[in-house]
Amino acid sequence: MNEIKIKSKNLNVYYGEKQALFDVNLDLNEKEVTALIGPSGCGKSTFIRCINRMNDVIDICKVSGNIEIDGVEINDKNLDVVSLRERVGMVFQKPNPFPKSIYDNISYGPKIHGKGETKSELDEIVENSLKKAALWEEVKDRLDEPGTGLSGGQQQRLCIARAISVNPEVILMDEPCSALDPIATAKIEELIDELKKTYTIVIVTHSMAQAVRVSQKTGFFHLGKLIEVGKTEKIFKNPDNKMTQDYITGRFG
Amino acid sequence: MNFVLIFLITIFSLSLFFYGRSKTKTISIEKNIKLNALPKFYGYYLVLWCSIPSLVFLLIWTLFEPVIIKSIIIETAANQGAIFNDKNEANLIYEKIKAIYAGTYFGDIDTILKESALSYAKFIILFTNSKIVLIFGIVIASVIYSLKKIKNNNKARDDVEVILKGLLFASSLIAILTTLGIIFSLLFESIKFFSVINIFDYLFGTNWSPQRAFVRDASAITAEEYEELKDAFGFIPLIAGTSFIAFIAMLVAVPVGLFSGIYMAEYASLKVRRISKPIIEILAGIPTVVYGFFAALTVGPFFRQIGENLGLTVSSESALAAGLIMGIMIIPYVSSLSDDVINSVPQSLRDGSYAVGATKSETIKKVVIPAALPGIIGSVLLAVSRAIGETMIVVMAAGLAANLTINPLESTTTITTQIVMILVGDQEFDSPKTQSAFALGLTLFIATLVLNYIAQRAVKKYREKYD
Repeated sequence: MNEIKIKSKNLNVYYGEKQALFDVNLDLNEKEVTALIGPSGCGKSTFIRCINRMNDVIDICKVSGNIEIDGVEINDKNLDVVSLRERVGMVFQKPNPFPKSIYDNISYGPKIHGKGETKSELDEIVENSLKKAALWEEVKDRLDEPGTGLSGGQQQRLCIARAISVNPEVILMDEPCSALDPIATAKIEELIDELKKTYTIVIVTHSMAQAVRVSQKTGFFHLGKLIEVGKTEKIFKNPDNKMTQDYITGRFG
Repeated sequence: MNFVLIFLITIFSLSLFFYGRSKTKTISIEKNIKLNALPKFYGYYLVLWCSIPSLVFLLIWTLFEPVIIKSIIIETAANQGAIFNDKNEANLIYEKIKAIYAGTYFGDIDTILKESALSYAKFIILFTNSKIVLIFGIVIASVIYSLKKIKNNNKARDDVEVILKGLLFASSLIAILTTLGIIFSLLFESIKFFSVINIFDYLFGTNWSPQRAFVRDASAITAEEYEELKDAFGFIPLIAGTSFIAFIAMLVAVPVGLFSGIYMAEYASLKVRRISKPIIEILAGIPTVVYGFFAALTVGPFFRQIGENLGLTVSSESALAAGLIMGIMIIPYVSSLSDDVINSVPQSLRDGSYAVGATKSETIKKVVIPAALPGIIGSVLLAVSRAIGETMIVVMAAGLAANLTINPLESTTTITTQIVMILVGDQEFDSPKTQSAFALGLTLFIATLVLNYIAQRAVKKYREKYD
């Protein structure tokens, strides 16, 4: 088993009065895909949004407890959120390319962080990111066309390329395939398989089959609590918890 | 008389509602048939049939009655030997006759006038009586027709629908026709003006002094007189002054409005937003005349004082004061429109930017503003068209002399100010001076129309992207 990359301890999240996560203790391994499953509103997305502090954007959201990346506490007021997000990239449920050219969509992150000072360095970053996201062949001749003009699946790969462009260590994916058709989904899953050689990946999904296909480790959330976590194979073949059993066999949720 | 008629028609129609409703109920019970619509629709049906034809007739009658009576009276007066050389004199006699009839004429009354006034009185009575008879006839005819219909169990619901559609269409037609009417009246008066003053002398002339054309009869201008006149109606100083003041206003309104819009949309907490947004919008509710005297009495003299202290000559009616106040007036428009367009940029774009490690200001600068740019440009253009059409502030604060200048400390004038100046007080209607107001109005109208069109196109282009 790989080393632990991210470690959460007694993580609690509140949206105003409502508590969304209850004492979540979850370890995520380096260069592995961890799938988070559970019914809607169970806190999976809330959990991954703690890892890159995206919850900061929401005014009423309060996070308590600890999250460590490589042993460094990130749920810390004095932490530089910007450099954290440079290390922890995110792909969202709905593809959200900027209304800019394909090239500018990718070069946006590196430019902000001062990477790729010359045009040729930037070109290289864009090319590499698109290649890693398996999009290069499809768009190399039209990098100056708007990113919003691509198909849904291509847009999502563009967003993955955008996340890769700043060379992160972790990539969070919040139901990345829920807006895509099966063919585009298959391409993204293939891509995830490839990406896990370089990156630690956390994916939230509603598809059991997808969790089985792409992940090595699976965590099951229910009503804000982490019910069970373990090797994907074990969770799906022989879960310890009755609730996990019921959920993966489709008896509720 | 008309009010009594309208009142009677209304009362009668309303009572028909109850009659129609209960009548159809009885019919359905007696004949044991299923009605084609709810009983109340038969009530509406009767009301509409009773009121609309008679009211429309009344309206048309009221519009045409004076015209017809006038032509008859003028003709009878002419037959009796009254002499008038042109339309104006005929109008004068007609007004005299009306005044005699109303008992408010105190001049000498000769036989012709007296006879005419008597026949005027006769015609008034005749017309009023026939109006009443005809209206009652129409009411009775349409009520009989509609009663027959509902007894046959017509599809009253569909019929009511058709009638209502017609009413709504008529209302929108009125709005459209009024607009067209205004445009055409501008157009025709402007054509009169341009038939005297060459359009190129107007568009490219650099001197505006319409008072030189005062009390000249436009139709009788000789070639020499025209030589004198042709450089009195130069449009350039006005458009220059208008643009200059609007430019100063935009210098104030665009940055302040845009930044406050960004603050409201992106940074302000819900609580701050709830308090400050209405306060900014109060600015939009202040009457422009209040801004005007604020500009003329407070800001203008203040600038002049400062100028004196610095050793500069500042006119107390400076372009700077007018532009500044106009800018303040426009801030809420820019602010609230750009707030709206920034708010409608989807949150997912901001998330995407934060997720690669951009700060809030980087996200706003590089993602949100570019995405909202067409909408922001649209709101700025709308603000510009407001600025060039604004009247009260510039009338009070911008000065009247048409100086062609780019010194913001001097006084300058605008199109709207000149229109006001031309039209206040008594005017000769065929003087080119008066007609020039219409030409100015037309030019202003075209300018704002073009700006609004471009602005709406820009906003629309932006909307298509995200909805």
